[in-house]
Amino acid sequence: MATGFVLAGQVKAQLLTPSNQVARYQALVVSVQELEATNSESRREIAGLRGQIDSLEADAAARSAATQDLRAKVDDLRAHAGLVAMHGPGIEVDLRNGDAGSAATGTAYLVNFEDVQDVVNLLFADGAEGVAVNGRRVTPLTAFSGSAGQVVIDQGPPLASPIKVVAVGDRNRMFAALDDPSALASIRAREVEFNLHLTFFGSPDLSLPAYDSSLQIPHVTPAN
Amino acid sequence: MSRRRIRATGVSVWLIALLVALVATIQIRSELEVQRSLVGIDPTSLAFLIDDLHRANEALDAEKADLKSKRTQLQSGQSGAADQVLSTEADRLRAVEGLVPVHGPGVVVEVDASGLTVLDLEDALNNLSSGGAEAIDVNNNRVVMGAAISSSGSDVAINGAVITPPWTISVIGDPTRLGIVAGLMMQQLRADRRVRGASYRVESDIVIRSVISEKPFVYAVPG
Repeated sequence: MATGFVLAGQVKAQLLTPSNQVARYQALVVSVQELEATNSESRREIAGLRGQIDSLEADAAARSAATQDLRAKVDDLRAHAGLVAMHGPGIEVDLRNGDAGSAATGTAYLVNFEDVQDVVNLLFADGAEGVAVNGRRVTPLTAFSGSAGQVVIDQGPPLASPIKVVAVGDRNRMFAALDDPSALASIRAREVEFNLHLTFFGSPDLSLPAYDSSLQIPHVTPAN
Repeated sequence: MSRRRIRATGVSVWLIALLVALVATIQIRSELEVQRSLVGIDPTSLAFLIDDLHRANEALDAEKADLKSKRTQLQSGQSGAADQVLSTEADRLRAVEGLVPVHGPGVVVEVDASGLTVLDLEDALNNLSSGGAEAIDVNNNRVVMGAAISSSGSDVAINGAVITPPWTISVIGDPTRLGIVAGLMMQQLRADRRVRGASYRVESDIVIRSVISEKPFVYAVPG
């Protein structure tokens, strides 16, 4: 009888553990979903507030030449910071996950944040004047992070394949840089090994959205 | 009830049903989209993701509070309010874009190595940016995302200026977060055979005097 109890307990424990794991996993997924919803709402609100401020500044600038001059300078700074939508000739780069190999290859077939970082850096080094990744504008403070196929850019929710990088700038220079077989070594190696997809094409007019997150620098003070 | 009224009621019911179905479809599709994007992520990565999203949402809340304060100031209609808001914004953006010297707390990372590449520097800068870097200088060269980092012989160049080892990377930002990131970087760097020495120190006031010259847009059209 005692053996029966022990066996029953063991069976129960073995049955409960996976279901608990599933419940715990689902709870984590729900948390992520809720946080992503809040994140999305906040970014929408920020875009709206920036629009309202822009309109109020325009009203003030219409009443004063000095304010108008100041606003023109700020507009230029905002454009360079990625706070203003822009368009122009450029390049679109598409990155897609490859084929999962054996378990030993791990997540190498997935597009990761380093891939996106490498593409964005290459484009900026070779003529890009503005870049967006899946509709998220890159700014002077942008950072990339993430794990296993997830790409987190600044305060946005994680992105996953397919990833579309759009760059406005010197189209020919950017195209040549992407076409250089010695560039993007990791991506090119995984193109061969895992069929990871890297494609790009030029366009006479591409659009970039305005940045919709935080550009706070609370620890920085201008030095005299 | 007239035939016309019955028909109108029927159409309204159909419209409401259609609307409900549409909303439900959008909701289900959007939830499936999120679930699909989270498939295959292990619980530890999900926990990190939750932590990142909490931090991100806090930063977005701070931005919203700042923007609301600016809006209130502008709506006040007080003389000079707009000029004040615009001047403060200009100062902040010049610092963000690396156009003016800045100071503040942070960390200084020193790396003495041979054979480090563009990717090594880009990874180091991205790690520090992910750790909340607000201003960065490498060997007296201001760096922001968008700086041209390239190879120059066996060395690395930032916006055309060659950076010879040792690299001194000065970073302003939250010293606690940056200290953690720098600590993790040290573990990696010290395991790298190319690295002769790597260290970091937290400082209460780092001065970055290097600046970037703003380039006018040649191809891009704002708006």
